[in-house]
Amino acid sequence: MELTVRIQRYDPEKDSAPHFENYKLENVNKTDRILDLLNRIKWEIDGGLTYRRSCTHGICGSDAVKINGRNRLACSVLVQDLKISKSTIQIEPIPALPLEKDLLVDMSSFFEKYEIVKPYLIPKDAPPERERYQTNEDAELLFESAKCIQCGSCSTSCPSLWVNENYIGPAAFLKAYRFIFDTRDDATAERLDLIDTTDGLWRCHTIFNCVEACPKEIDITWHISQLKKAALRREI
Amino acid sequence: MAYKQVSSRSGGALSWFLQRVTGIVLLFVMIGHYILMHYNIDSGHTYDAVLSRMQNPFYKGLQMTFVVLGIYHGVNGTWSVVRDFDLNKSVSWTIYALLVISGVVFGLVGITTLMSF
Ligand code: HEM
Ligand code: SF4
Ligand code: FES
Repeated sequence: MELTVRIQRYDPEKDSAPHFENYKLENVNKTDRILDLLNRIKWEIDGGLTYRRSCTHGICGSDAVKINGRNRLACSVLVQDLKISKSTIQIEPIPALPLEKDLLVDMSSFFEKYEIVKPYLIPKDAPPERERYQTNEDAELLFESAKCIQCGSCSTSCPSLWVNENYIGPAAFLKAYRFIFDTRDDATAERLDLIDTTDGLWRCHTIFNCVEACPKEIDITWHISQLKKAALRREI
Repeated sequence: MAYKQVSSRSGGALSWFLQRVTGIVLLFVMIGHYILMHYNIDSGHTYDAVLSRMQNPFYKGLQMTFVVLGIYHGVNGTWSVVRDFDLNKSVSWTIYALLVISGVVFGLVGITTLMSF
């Protein structure tokens, strides 16, 4: 089939503002991934088209873009997964982060927020001779949150981030959950202090954009609610 | 992007909790309000009907709860939305003051009106 791919382009050295350009592709298969279309445009039409991708299999989280208005991984969406009107697919960078070029955004602040929740185990006791054990039930509490691949789809889909760049955001909360609810970790109060702030948990209004955006189908809002309840339990 | 980290406890937990609790109570009070005041053949809206209803302690209590919780919920909810924006301190304090003052004023108007029956 024939498809038009409408891509937001921006070259900081030439353009004063981003604009859209259309690319016509022939022989598109229903089972092509959106990343395949981007690759074809880069390889066959305009080598200057700039976007991130690495694993091409939904593992590295580098190719989150806005496809037909929704944040998704270009490598994990097939043409047949989209409702396509007028044979056009629109691709933009994920919002709310500084635009570098074309579909490339500066993820620094996203990862800074990830780092402030201390995304590593902080145990009281010295390491045992072998590993720190957990029961299956305790480990299961963490499985869903541990599926996150740090793609940024969730945080940048959240209206609270759109209006306040200091909002810590769902991805960092999810990481905080992963350690706060880890029975082997002893820094719960310290981590809660970092997210029980004006720019933290209370800016989440259970809008569910993050849940809709997450390519790993993580129920992020549920995890944030557990954190809100943990923060509340300290107050009452 | 200059990301500035605020790491002091904000007291947001309590206001979040109270927003939920008052929201849930309001849900029932509002359903009660509509059934008792609007969809009940007996309720009536003539001067005498309203007067006698308002003298009933149950109705009075219901309306009082409605006024207090509705205003708290509305003011607290608006404040939580205001806080979503990265406003400078003087702007947000001004809005905060206006919200609190209007809440107190409307609360007093509501309560004195109810007490006058
Ligand atoms: C059926 C009764 C109601 C229920 C169940 C309810 C529930 C809620 C809940 C759960 C929230 C918190 C949302 C969040 O931030 O996570 C909220 C917010 C809010 N409510 Fe209500 N509410 C009700 C009636 C009202 C009324 C009568 C008013 C107006 C006085 C009002 C004004 C607000 C405002 C301004 C907010 C903040 C907006 C937001 O956070 O999205 N609500 N409500
Ligand atoms: S929670 Fe989902 S959407 Fe958010 S960064 Fe992780 S994988 Fe991406
Ligand atoms: S390229 Fe790695 S997740 Fe898509």
